[in-house]
Amino acid sequence: MTEPLLAEYFPILVFLGIAAAIAIAMVGGSVLAAHQKPDSEKLSAYECGFEPFDDTRRRFDVRFYLVAILFIIFDLEVAFLFPWAVTLGQIGWLGFASMMGFLGVLTVGFIYEWRKGALDWE
Amino acid sequence: MFDIGLVHYLTVGAILFVLGIFGIFLNRKNVIVILMSVELILLAVNMNLVGFSSVLQDLTGQIFAMLILTVAAAEAAIGLAIVVIYYRNRGSIEVEDISTLRG
Amino acid sequence: MIAALAFYFFAAILIASAVMVVTSRNPVHSVLFLILCFFNASALFLIAGAEFLAMILVIVYVGAVAVLFLFVVMMLDIDFARLREGFQRYAPVGAAVGGVLFLELLMVLGTWRFADDAASLRINPTTPGGISNTAAIGRILYTDYIYLFQASGAVLLVAMLGAIVLTLRDRPGTKRQSVAVQVARDPKLVETRAVALGAGLDTIGIRRPLPPPEPPKKVEHAADHAADHGGHH
Repeated sequence: MTEPLLAEYFPILVFLGIAAAIAIAMVGGSVLAAHQKPDSEKLSAYECGFEPFDDTRRRFDVRFYLVAILFIIFDLEVAFLFPWAVTLGQIGWLGFASMMGFLGVLTVGFIYEWRKGALDWE
Repeated sequence: MFDIGLVHYLTVGAILFVLGIFGIFLNRKNVIVILMSVELILLAVNMNLVGFSSVLQDLTGQIFAMLILTVAAAEAAIGLAIVVIYYRNRGSIEVEDISTLRG
Repeated sequence: MIAALAFYFFAAILIASAVMVVTSRNPVHSVLFLILCFFNASALFLIAGAEFLAMILVIVYVGAVAVLFLFVVMMLDIDFARLREGFQRYAPVGAAVGGVLFLELLMVLGTWRFADDAASLRINPTTPGGISNTAAIGRILYTDYIYLFQASGAVLLVAMLGAIVLTLRDRPGTKRQSVAVQVARDPKLVETRAVALGAGLDTIGIRRPLPPPEPPKKVEHAADHAADHGGHH
């Protein structure tokens, strides 16, 4: 359907293939060639010579979640900025004002979260 | 067979959609996997839109796919916020407990 | 030819990883397969010619949403084995509903065709040659679809406010850094000294008096030692 476009991306496909081939060759080669005699002592967790005290997966603080959420929102905002920046010369004042409205709406949210202290670390 | 057309994209989209529905049924207890299944369903919708947009040579489908991406991100944000606060209040994320919210 | 082979390859990985998303036992694995899923979907978008959408899918989804899911999975610290109870119980129902739905979709696919004048009803034809996909989207997104664009801004605003309102809570008793107060402090109230190189705290005379020495503990020495070690991890 889109041959000339895909021709530009052919090198990336080649790179993907090479990367996959090398990775598979390395892992597969080490699986095939290495001597593997696992026993319970070799497979146990090594941590300075004694057993680990508790689970390594522990809870994060909820504030990390809030920061990540706000990152997603502004990530999408920047995604919308890309085509606007490419075509700013052709879409005229309407396009400019439209993006300013979009940014203004999101700035309202940004001011809100700033005033609420969602970005502060305590 | 070696000519990728609309039917191929629609088939992939249909399989993804069905897998999403299946995931919702399968993981009745884990809200997080249910949210991931919803993301899969939205991805299937996007696949259809992009397939039609490509075959009809019409950009409208891609515009709508972008809007769906926006909605999906917002849905994930709000849904996960609800999960977090529900876990804080109840100490579990089992969906079956949510029916106790009914009056 | 190559495009077709690539399509089948990526579609196969996409569907396989989607299966793993819904069936894997560990939600962390589910999230990682979801990332793989979005990568392959973006490759399919690329084959369809939707360049910009493919890149946005990688940036927004793989970069943000999947990381967010991982966050929540790790944050909640749940007994996931218990959550898998009822897996077998629900599987037949889910398979039945999914199978019926898939059959219906196949029936629709089998008998469906374009209207004769579908090609002439195009609203925004992709311009052949010249401008890129990104520029073509930019030309219509902000002007022709201005209402939808503003609505998506409102959706993002609601998501932002909702996340803050739901998860942010004031904790009384915690101290926050007040940058303005720090910056606006009166320099006359703070004493700054020029300290010579190599001068110790005793030389300057600002050393705090040592606390009185504690009596040495005799028991639980080994336990204390182990706890010290644990703190390093």
